[in-house]
Amino acid sequence: MNNREFTPESEYTYDRSSVWRWLVSHAMRYPMHVVVGTLFRAGVVVAAVQVPKLMGDAFDAVAQANAEASVLLGFGLAILGISVLRGALQLLANYTAEIVALRMERDVRDELYVNLLGKSQTYHGQQRVGDIMARATNDVKQLNYMVNPGLLLLSEWLVNMVAPIAAIGIFLSVDLLPIPVLFLILFLIALRGYLRRLTPVAGALRAQFGALNATLTESIAGIEVVKSNAQEEQEHNRFRVKAEDYRDLFVKQGKIQALYLPLLMFSFCLALGLAHSLYLYTNGALTIGQVITFMGFLAMLRFPTFVSIFAFSLVKLGTAGAERILAILNAETEIDENRAGIEQRIEGEVVFDNVSFAYHGANTLKNISFQAKPGETIAIVGQTGSGKSTLTRLINRIYEVSDGRVLIDGVDVRVWSMESLRSQIATIDQDVFLFSRTLAENIAFGVRRPVNREEIEAVAKQAQAHDFIMSFKDGYDTVVGERGVTLSGGQRQRIAIARAFLADPRILVLDDSTSAIDSATEDQIQRALRNILHGRTTFLITHRLSQIRWADRILVLRGGELEDQGTHDELMARSPAYRNIFAHRDERYTAALPATLVGE
Amino acid sequence: MGFVMDGLDADAYDREYSDRALLRRIITYFRPQARPMLLVAIAIFAGALTDTAVPILISRGIDLVVANPATQIMVLLVIAILVLSSVSWGLNFLRQWLSAVAIGNVTLQIREDAFNATMGHDLSFFDDQPTGKLVSRVSSDTDGFAETVSLTMNLISQVMLVVLMGCVLLVINWQLGLITIAMAPFVAAISLVFRRIARETSLHSRRIMAQVNAHIEESISGIAVAKVFRQEKAVHDDFVRINRQAYRVNFRQGIVLNTFFPVFNATAGIGTAIVVYFGGLNTASGAMSVGDWYLFIQALMFFWFPLTQIASFWSQFQNGLSASERVFGLIDAEPRVVQTGDAPADDLQGGFEFRDVRFSYQPTETVLPDFSLTIPPGESVALVGHTGSGKTSIVRLVARFYEFQEGQLLVDGRDIRAFNLPSYRRQIGIVPQSPFLFSGTVGENIRYGRPDAKEADVLRAVEHIAGGNWLADLPNGLDTDVGERGGRLSMGQRQLVALARVMLHDPAVFILDEATASVDPFTEIQIQDGVEAIMRDRTSIVIAHRLYTVQRADRILVLDSGRILEEGTHEMLLAAGGHYAELYDTYFRHQSLEYVESVIH
Repeated sequence: MNNREFTPESEYTYDRSSVWRWLVSHAMRYPMHVVVGTLFRAGVVVAAVQVPKLMGDAFDAVAQANAEASVLLGFGLAILGISVLRGALQLLANYTAEIVALRMERDVRDELYVNLLGKSQTYHGQQRVGDIMARATNDVKQLNYMVNPGLLLLSEWLVNMVAPIAAIGIFLSVDLLPIPVLFLILFLIALRGYLRRLTPVAGALRAQFGALNATLTESIAGIEVVKSNAQEEQEHNRFRVKAEDYRDLFVKQGKIQALYLPLLMFSFCLALGLAHSLYLYTNGALTIGQVITFMGFLAMLRFPTFVSIFAFSLVKLGTAGAERILAILNAETEIDENRAGIEQRIEGEVVFDNVSFAYHGANTLKNISFQAKPGETIAIVGQTGSGKSTLTRLINRIYEVSDGRVLIDGVDVRVWSMESLRSQIATIDQDVFLFSRTLAENIAFGVRRPVNREEIEAVAKQAQAHDFIMSFKDGYDTVVGERGVTLSGGQRQRIAIARAFLADPRILVLDDSTSAIDSATEDQIQRALRNILHGRTTFLITHRLSQIRWADRILVLRGGELEDQGTHDELMARSPAYRNIFAHRDERYTAALPATLVGE
Repeated sequence: MGFVMDGLDADAYDREYSDRALLRRIITYFRPQARPMLLVAIAIFAGALTDTAVPILISRGIDLVVANPATQIMVLLVIAILVLSSVSWGLNFLRQWLSAVAIGNVTLQIREDAFNATMGHDLSFFDDQPTGKLVSRVSSDTDGFAETVSLTMNLISQVMLVVLMGCVLLVINWQLGLITIAMAPFVAAISLVFRRIARETSLHSRRIMAQVNAHIEESISGIAVAKVFRQEKAVHDDFVRINRQAYRVNFRQGIVLNTFFPVFNATAGIGTAIVVYFGGLNTASGAMSVGDWYLFIQALMFFWFPLTQIASFWSQFQNGLSASERVFGLIDAEPRVVQTGDAPADDLQGGFEFRDVRFSYQPTETVLPDFSLTIPPGESVALVGHTGSGKTSIVRLVARFYEFQEGQLLVDGRDIRAFNLPSYRRQIGIVPQSPFLFSGTVGENIRYGRPDAKEADVLRAVEHIAGGNWLADLPNGLDTDVGERGGRLSMGQRQLVALARVMLHDPAVFILDEATASVDPFTEIQIQDGVEAIMRDRTSIVIAHRLYTVQRADRILVLDSGRILEEGTHEMLLAAGGHYAELYDTYFRHQSLEYVESVIH
């Protein structure tokens, strides 16, 4: 089993060792449907074969001039009955196939989604959301089409290809077999070539769709930048290049399909079969009725030949999609939730023991060691890109250390159960992401238990969010637009603070989280935050001296290395790097402030 | 089953088109493909002729051989069939290939149109449209549109075949022919019944898929939050709900589409039974030859197969139509920002005048009730005020992202609506609070507004932003990969890249929504230097959160509830002791040295 960060309550396991095994294991989740569906389908075929047989018999009856109306009526009624039966069986077979196809679509999408939730942040940092969307919706849909009508047509193809040929041997004469059998062999050879040509194109087509979707998603997500730079044209060109590549692959696929040789082979088979049967007729080896029946059987090969183009194309596109989905499912992710790990209340001691971390060559950390006692507040300062946020993400295992250890209460974070670990650590980020749900739900996001409205209002008041929430028409039931577009940065941060208040974590990470709060609320929130810090270990990424003053200790990061640590006064006294950070500021404000104020 | 349809309402901009309007619209997309389509039509027709000829040849051959079993005839017969089928295959190749070309081009065209329409909408459109839903329309629904193309082409060939085979049937035996053709109205009736249901179910199916898409887009974009709060389960539960609903909605569609062919096959069986019975009677009585009878039955299959295709066409076509309806709905949604003129803005001076402007995002909440303000060219204005005071709305109106409801907004003395929009926007450089970077390199992102800029120009722009030292801190300089949405850079680095982007762009007007996130003082100074460099020599409107910035502004506007409370320079306003002084105390003061000192000592 791969590593993963999330496991749902109940889960069905599938065989992911190869595309076909995986698909079969999905289908076999519904064995009854598969078996019953196959039986129905077999019934359809048996019924279908009866029709030309009956027609041939009717011919013979007429040719032998003993065709009374009653005999013909019998044939007519038999054909009628069988056709209706066949329709009914086909209906049932289609329904079962559709149910399997739709359930498979649903199951695969769920499997993929659960898997994505379990992937590490490092993994997600390398993916393009648009491509993932394409896999989760369009490629999964492609699987549905592969089962129904794809596999259905394929089974029909198989049976309809073999049954008439077998019928020729059984009902007519073995002498008639060479031509249809030769056709079948050549057909299979041509099919192999066809699939070989189609496979790379189908794979490329699905991949290109993903690329198209990714470009599109990015253009829409960044619409404000596009507009403010008046770069609609450039985006259009970018999109067009992808869409044109997709079109070219589509046409290429169309050409491969158009060059499908079995269609031509079928006609040859028909002509040669006619010659052969007529030859046998002139020799007296066959009756005219048998010739007609034989030609009828051969004509039946038209449908499977015709259908095989679609059947195999659908299967190819489906397996190409399946490969793309499996690529995600089987991608290794380095972090595991460690369900069997330690679950207990965190006291709050955090120790970094010679920790190093590498990520895309940027934001790296080198040999970081420090200790935070329970309840301490640790400020982290350093230039942009020096790795401050990355450092805090190693605590709740959003990222995994490359080297060294992070210990909480003396236990390696990898030994903790992720559930226990993350549920006791809360983070308030600079860039707050809100989900398209109500404000109340967004605030309650961090807790598992049901939360009543009073509690939510209480924490919202603590976070100074209550007033602006009530200024909305729907109050707490206001649904947030995507990425919180209808809320200002400051409002979003207050929601996040309320969220953290409610979650009541043992360890709190504040990543510059009061920075977006403007105007009069600031002081109140500062006070509220001071309250929330009380009794829990806090990591504070900030450069506000007012907040740095809260810290028991300050870590100075520079280029991913821990330059120094200590209290503000100690660092001011001994750390040039630390002084340097604040020195610039002093110069600037001394120069800029009006004399009246400096003097006071 | 009411609950199955919960939340499947149309989006605000969706509209209903009549089938006729949809078809007319679809046809306009085919027009540029007239040549390949014509060739396809010819190939289809010729192909239908050859396809029809083969069974006729076979039946005649049987009759001939029965009458006169000569080898010569058989050989000729076989050669004729071989030649005909080769021609038929060649025609089929042409048809399939050219169809793929035509469909590929038509889909490309509508995708581009849908994309351009999306890009052309003003920002109010995106406020309540999740990205995933829009993406679904542009990429998936356009595929559904293509389906109408292939189905239509198929239909043409099937209709030709049915007409031809109908004629053949009548020629062989007009009584039997009439009986067979009489079945057609039944088929038509059944297909019409299916059509209505199919349209509705397929539209619902597309809507739910758009929702699935939107859910995945959002939850994957925000996955870090789910991780941090260990809320994967809640997110998953939500997904399971939508995914199950999608299953139920798709199930309805699946049932409709899967009922079709079996019903038709059964109907076809009835036809065959009748023909076997009456045909047999006719042949037994000598009114028909055995060959004719065979031919009739073969022709019957050739008649039924395309007929079921035609009949199923309507219900399958509905899927394409509902997709088209969604795509056209997107294309036709009317932008609220509409320009009345097309004046170029290349030599924009950057003077703005708001005259009694009233603006609201939603009719219920007015943001700017009656706003007036004049900004002469070259002035730098700092907007300060509480959240919701209207600062952001003012710059959004200047950037022409939204349409205002009343009053006038003049740019260089002309109505803002009189300008060519891309030309106007090119004169405006914006740095938002959390800058969005496109995946690619730092260099590509700086070049974003001027893709043709030379490397030297890029470096000069970088140089102007705090001496360009920050570039050296990036692992690969200009070639550093920023990741999707700039995720691999820190907030401060994204700011610097965004500033360099505007510097290179060199607009007449600079709009800055100052980042409230405080970066380290060192980077802060780099950013402030960059901002200062850009603000020089151009009109600047800054939503200010920095003491340094407000001090540098020519004029500070203190806003509250969309009204200007006070204006003036930093010193003037402080001395006046009004709202600004109050704001300063609670917000800017802690950034001042005096405050810093008081905390330290």
